[in-house]
Amino acid sequence: MVSKKKKKYSSGEGAQFMTRKAALKKLQLSLKDFRRICILKGIYPREPRNRKRAQKGAGGIKTLYHTKDIKFLLHEPIIWKLRELKVYQQKIRRARAQREYGKMRKFLRDYPEINIDHIVKERYPTFVDALRDLDDCLTLCFLFSTFPSLKKVPRDQSFLCRRLTVEFMHAVIAAKALRKVFVSVKGFYYQVEFEGQTITWIVPHHFSFQPQSKDEVDFKIMATFVEFYTMMLGFVNFKLYHSLNLVYPPKLPIGFSSEKDKDLIDEQSYVSERIAAMNISPAKIEGSNEVEELPEIDIFPTEDNDPQKLEEAKLEAEKIKKLKTLFKGLKFYINREVPREPLVFIIRCFGGECSWDKDHFVGATFDETDETIAYQIVDRPSMDKQYLSRYYIQPQWVFDSVNTRTLLPINKYLIGAILPPHLSPFVDTIKDQVYIPPEERELNDPNFKPLNADSSGSEIEEASDEDKEEQNEPDSEDSDAERAITKQYQQEVDEDSSQDEEENDDDDLDPEKKKLAKEKKKSMRVTTGVTHKEHPYQKEIEDKQAFRLREKLVRKKHRNLYKSMKAGQEKRKKEIWLLRKKRRLHDEKIKDEKKAEKRKQKMQALEATSI
Amino acid sequence: MTETKKKKHVSKKNKKAWRKHCDIKDVENFLEDQRLEERLGKFETKPDSEIFIIDTGGDGIKTEDEDIKPISLKKLRRSKLGEFPKCFEILLPDSKVQDPNTKRNTVKPVGSKPTAFSKLTDKRKYEKGIYQKKIEDARRNRKMALQKKRRAKQVRQNFNLDLWGKDLPDSKTIPSTLCDEFIPPQAQLHNVLPEQRLRQKPPLAQTLVTRAAVDVPHPGVSYNPSYQEHQELLQEVVQHEQKLIKKEQHLDRVTTKMFKKVTAAEKENQWREEMSEGLPKPHNPAEHDSESDGEYKAINPPVKNKKKDHKARRKQKERLLEKERLKREKIDKKKITDIYKLRKLESSIKKGERVREAQRAQRAARRAARARAAPPALSAHPAPAPAPPLVAPAQLSGDLRRVAPAVNLLRERFESLQHRGALAASKVMMKKKRKLKSYFKPGHKVTDQDVQKFIKNHNIEV
Repeated sequence: MVSKKKKKYSSGEGAQFMTRKAALKKLQLSLKDFRRICILKGIYPREPRNRKRAQKGAGGIKTLYHTKDIKFLLHEPIIWKLRELKVYQQKIRRARAQREYGKMRKFLRDYPEINIDHIVKERYPTFVDALRDLDDCLTLCFLFSTFPSLKKVPRDQSFLCRRLTVEFMHAVIAAKALRKVFVSVKGFYYQVEFEGQTITWIVPHHFSFQPQSKDEVDFKIMATFVEFYTMMLGFVNFKLYHSLNLVYPPKLPIGFSSEKDKDLIDEQSYVSERIAAMNISPAKIEGSNEVEELPEIDIFPTEDNDPQKLEEAKLEAEKIKKLKTLFKGLKFYINREVPREPLVFIIRCFGGECSWDKDHFVGATFDETDETIAYQIVDRPSMDKQYLSRYYIQPQWVFDSVNTRTLLPINKYLIGAILPPHLSPFVDTIKDQVYIPPEERELNDPNFKPLNADSSGSEIEEASDEDKEEQNEPDSEDSDAERAITKQYQQEVDEDSSQDEEENDDDDLDPEKKKLAKEKKKSMRVTTGVTHKEHPYQKEIEDKQAFRLREKLVRKKHRNLYKSMKAGQEKRKKEIWLLRKKRRLHDEKIKDEKKAEKRKQKMQALEATSI
Repeated sequence: MTETKKKKHVSKKNKKAWRKHCDIKDVENFLEDQRLEERLGKFETKPDSEIFIIDTGGDGIKTEDEDIKPISLKKLRRSKLGEFPKCFEILLPDSKVQDPNTKRNTVKPVGSKPTAFSKLTDKRKYEKGIYQKKIEDARRNRKMALQKKRRAKQVRQNFNLDLWGKDLPDSKTIPSTLCDEFIPPQAQLHNVLPEQRLRQKPPLAQTLVTRAAVDVPHPGVSYNPSYQEHQELLQEVVQHEQKLIKKEQHLDRVTTKMFKKVTAAEKENQWREEMSEGLPKPHNPAEHDSESDGEYKAINPPVKNKKKDHKARRKQKERLLEKERLKREKIDKKKITDIYKLRKLESSIKKGERVREAQRAQRAARRAARARAAPPALSAHPAPAPAPPLVAPAQLSGDLRRVAPAVNLLRERFESLQHRGALAASKVMMKKKRKLKSYFKPGHKVTDQDVQKFIKNHNIEV
């Protein structure tokens, strides 16, 4: 018998995809409902490999969905709820048309809500999955928490966003999970680390709400995204609080519940309350201790037993441990012109305490007159009244200190000083073959000494010292001016002595060589025999040979890649070497000039005295 | 009947006396009989079985051997279930007489209608403030009920569920304790949670998985950037802008500039010329002056077919042949020299091929990179290309106090979703305002004629 003819597009890519219209027909939903359920369930349109085939021969570009995705949606119990809602909406419409406004209002009041907690569980089977996808969620929630009630955004949504974001910030404070901060023109970038997952989000600067033009952003869609994200963030908060032994939900002051929105809180007082809430630590579960610090990393012999990597990981862990107690025991006073929210959040994250003007904002914990305050954060050119017991610094000091993971020297950040640039901490560290100027290197690791220490090392130090001096000059109102002066004096003395030494060196032959000769003389003695030691140079040569052999064994498939990699390395190395040389020459030149100038001055002084 | 014997003359003057002395017993008896008949049914029509009973028991002596099974208490109660309850028997009509009045007026129960007295007491109570209190109580109760309802609704926002622990989201599935006993396996399967179904959710698109939700910021967007990083950012912006300008210029070139532009005045002139073609032109004395007389004169002289002579023909042929010969000679010479050039040629060809190959690879790589970075085409409208954020140097004040809003964060989020492929880019369809056709109601129409008429009638001076 003749087999039945196979219809076109009944298998393969043609059967794999479905247009949006077909999906609507299959699910028996309106476009609005379909959009909503797709966002809630995390089902997105697809781009096919071959569009012509996927669209069953139709031209143009249509929005396509996976047939499997749509079949998956068919099982969702919420679809039934959406269909019920449709009936309910019809009732409301009917009541309005009949002018039965009482009835209509009652319907609107009792509008049924959809519970979507199972979708959160379904989309993120494990907690780590949820944490991994928190970037977008947090950014949108922080953004919506600044919105007033809009036409397309449900009123309780922004309230919920406010509550959840503050709760999340509390969790970050309690876990001391903040790692990086970056202040951009867009807003504040924060990066935290929970359970090994890094989460980055943006908090907008605090401006008043800017109305959005209609054709830019579809508010309805964004509100649906936020609807899901609030649900997710709520459960994440719950889990975080319980893992930190905190009571959930934490008791926060008013302004976070939609029930009390009637007593019309203005924007300013709302913001100050939000910040005040951040200054209070949430209640702990009774009878629980502090969450134990993570124990030191145990070393397990793994497959790629790279001691260097292990060492790096250990160092990183130690650094983070230090970072967590960066501001511990330090008291900060925040002046009123400084944006308090990010600063309070950051300072509290690293164990500091902070307060502000209690006459202007609620929630201050100590007064400005408190003598134990270590730092006062100021963002104005000068202050009338200054205390000797504290440093007056600009807010950037806090951000930069967090990013470098140490308390930076304050002299560049003093009141009225021109600030050094605020660098991004998100620059990838993979690019290691880059020229780093010695100043930056010094910033990154404090025990860095310039390589050519015998001759040019002192020069570079000197140069950097001079830089500091230049920056010190404008802050004449320095509170510890005396100390600074003494420091400078000492440095100058040191320089003088070193220069003297160098001058002596020029006169005599190298004393170091003499020393070496002496040692050699000492060692020239008949001694008892020692066991044969491998010659280090010999060994080096052998190693090199072995390396070359291994290079030969690189597969033909990868040989070109390997070659290009090596060539790139060489090129970069050369570039770095060139830049370093340039810098060295430049430094030397400057030093010579300076020396000549000094000599001239000395001569002049001598002449003056002689005359 | 006995009383009829006694005959005595008595007055039966008025109704009372007549009633006293008239014997109506027989009539009453008859009526009573009739009523009894009505109540119990006619005696004659009744079957014998209803009137008579067969006496089987004898007179008063019960036999002992009759075995009656004792009914259990439960059965007794069961049997009584069907009976009409005794307590309500009194409500049933005991007579068989039908209600002669088929439609009765409803009588309101006592107390339902305010009486004069109740009105008085109500007024007194109102003055006392009892009603006010009742109203307030009711209002409070209503409010409490509403709040309770609202709170029940907000349970959703409590998040008191360890979603990734032991707790399972409730109500979406049948509790496992019930599964063993009551619920059939089909129903269990039907109500199983989506995550436990056999049909798994297909994996997400690669763009969604690999592209970061929050991009790593360019170091130049810092509120206080270093000079170099800021310049890099500006360079990026400039390149982006240049690309856009180039595109626009191209579009302009291939569309607008393809067509000749004519000013309005020129167009008018052209039209005039075209329309007046063939019509007698207006007399222009200046034009007529140039013509000497009415003689016709062609602009180009007439073509003459001048034949070449033999010599010229020969010369031309020779010239052509010579040219051809030289060409051939040159080619032959080149052939000989090319033999010596062979290796050079080969190398140049190879080099060219290599270069072209490299170019091809480069182009393919570039195309692939562009495809990797491009937003997926999900709808007919392409998503806008992500533009680097422009931070104008004038905007940078270097302190936190004077940071100005530079980027619309919501829009950036929206575009990020589009770029990752979570949203199909779409054009926002604005609702068109319906054009209303306006017209006058016929009676209210005021035409010019009406105005004239009005003026005429009222003798208004214009």
